[in-house]
Amino acid sequence: MNIDNAAFRDFRESLEHLGSDTPSEILSGEEQVRRAKQTFMDKLDGPMAVDLTTCVHCGMCAEACHYYEATQDEKYAPVRKFEPLRRFYRRELSPMRWLFRPFIRDVTAQDLEAWQELVYDACTGCGRCDMMCPMGVRLSPLINVMRQGLASAGLVPAELRALQIEQRDNDTVFGVGAGKLREVIDRLKQQGIEVPLDKSRAEVLILTTAVEVLLFSAALSATAKIMNRLDADWTISSQGFEAANLGLLSGDEATQRQAAARIVEQAKTCGAKTVILPESGHAYQAMRWEGANELGEALPFEVLAISEFIARELDAGRLPLSTATNGSSVTYHDPCRLGRHSGVIEQPRQVLKALGMEFREADSNGRENYCCGGGCAEYVIKRSAPLRQKAFEIKKREFDETGADVVVTSCANCRINLMIGAENGGWQTPIESLVERVAASLTE
Amino acid sequence: MTLLDFARGPALQWSLIILVVGVMWRFTGTILLGRKEDLSKPRRNTEIRDGLATIFRRSLPEHQFEKKIRFQHAAGYTWHLALFIAVLFSAPHILFFESVLGFGWPHLPNGIILVTAAIALALLLALLIRRLSHPVQRLISNADDYISVVIVIIPLVTGILASAHIGARYETLLAIHFLSVEALFVWFPFGKLMHTALTFPARFRAGAEFGRRGVKA
Repeated sequence: MNIDNAAFRDFRESLEHLGSDTPSEILSGEEQVRRAKQTFMDKLDGPMAVDLTTCVHCGMCAEACHYYEATQDEKYAPVRKFEPLRRFYRRELSPMRWLFRPFIRDVTAQDLEAWQELVYDACTGCGRCDMMCPMGVRLSPLINVMRQGLASAGLVPAELRALQIEQRDNDTVFGVGAGKLREVIDRLKQQGIEVPLDKSRAEVLILTTAVEVLLFSAALSATAKIMNRLDADWTISSQGFEAANLGLLSGDEATQRQAAARIVEQAKTCGAKTVILPESGHAYQAMRWEGANELGEALPFEVLAISEFIARELDAGRLPLSTATNGSSVTYHDPCRLGRHSGVIEQPRQVLKALGMEFREADSNGRENYCCGGGCAEYVIKRSAPLRQKAFEIKKREFDETGADVVVTSCANCRINLMIGAENGGWQTPIESLVERVAASLTE
Repeated sequence: MTLLDFARGPALQWSLIILVVGVMWRFTGTILLGRKEDLSKPRRNTEIRDGLATIFRRSLPEHQFEKKIRFQHAAGYTWHLALFIAVLFSAPHILFFESVLGFGWPHLPNGIILVTAAIALALLLALLIRRLSHPVQRLISNADDYISVVIVIIPLVTGILASAHIGARYETLLAIHFLSVEALFVWFPFGKLMHTALTFPARFRAGAEFGRRGVKA
């Protein structure tokens, strides 16, 4: 495992204190409800109205949710997680609201507080329930509107809120800014790995994340090796390198827009035709699918996940890899926002097979894959640790059933969460990064 | 005016007006809420094909989920199918449709209709018991969920009784059957029976949205 264990311990330790000194937003209950309802009103659209009307309360979505599966606690049924939004819709927006209103209870501040746990601690927005619903209801966008409503009501959990405020106010995440990035790049340079920082013009803009800088610099190093091996015209911008989007994760749309705008601005400045996202599921979703919509204009560049970029280069025969893997076997964990939400499903498998490893598919995979249990930055929320650990047991069981020697994923957040689960449970199977595996197999 | 005259006359007319106007009102009011244009570049431009595929695909559970929802899934589709057979292929129903539409079609023997209606009724009762007893369904259920099941069960019961001539004079049973169907018509636009009109649009949208991202939904 290419990770500094001391750094990982420090990182876990820092999570223990995250948010402890974050000032909470003090709002009256009335103001919380007003803000949440305004967000609900702004965000609900026709397709969501169709979904809210079509749901027949069959409860089958519960069977798709890793938290319900892990606990059998009915409160974790996905349909339950947007119940206040459904009530709001029926009372205040439905074409039948004139009739429904007297019979449906209004949303209260107590509801919003009660739903914080369901929406933030017990939903990673993985979208597995979207695949299950026999009516075709997309539940994850509805739960996301709940998240946005709670965020506008000042009800983001303290840890997540600390990170969101940090990115909003300082453009840093976990304290990682341009200075820390330069330190890592200088260290890589000493190892003979060139990282072109702040080139004025470049075809490709590479993004990274604070987590890579702090914990997985081997992934950044691997990306650099691959780009250099391809002789690509690429750069990293010290003013816009952070791919993580705490706005998307927390539900604070202003921060989401700001983080996306910063990247787009840097890409425009250097004239990049391609922006490559690092190993991060939510970062890909934030830029590839939501970036243009947040900024109100089509993106003037192509957006690729590093795994799909590598697959494309392999396909074109530009990336020669050694297949000497000593017959080891591998299984792949699909990050939800990269796989199910974004269609990057076959590409990482294609890459792993090109490495010559024996590929073993887990029972749930691709579009039906189980979440790592800590997606959507849930792994930073301290109080949900026991719940996450239970969800991790599902992954562990499925990984064990494959008998694979290594678990590979392509999302730093999934990797962290799986590593925490493995460490807590004394599970020994290595959890590795796709890009690091590829870089280790590059041939001359 | 007898009870049967009332049931076959003004009650039927008004319930049909409420059904049609109500469904159109709710359907258009829901759809017309609109949506913003998606400015992201699609992975593939096959939204219509993907949407249509999902309409059909969601009728079958996926491998991962099938083992967990087998009873609900099979019971759900079976009672719907049994109800449609009983409604569309019962001889008295076809006579009624013929009087309204001007044309009819072959009917199934009364015995088969009674069996299919009984199957639909039994499954609806089983699903109602499940709703009352399963922790998830009990938690998420509201008045609409219970009213909607009962309002479908009653016409089935009255239809079976009328067909089998059990419990009262035939005319009285027939009038009650008509009135129970009319109650269903009146409730239809207001409750979750509206899913009948919106399931296919919902499935289509899910298929199209995932499809533009390159994912089979």
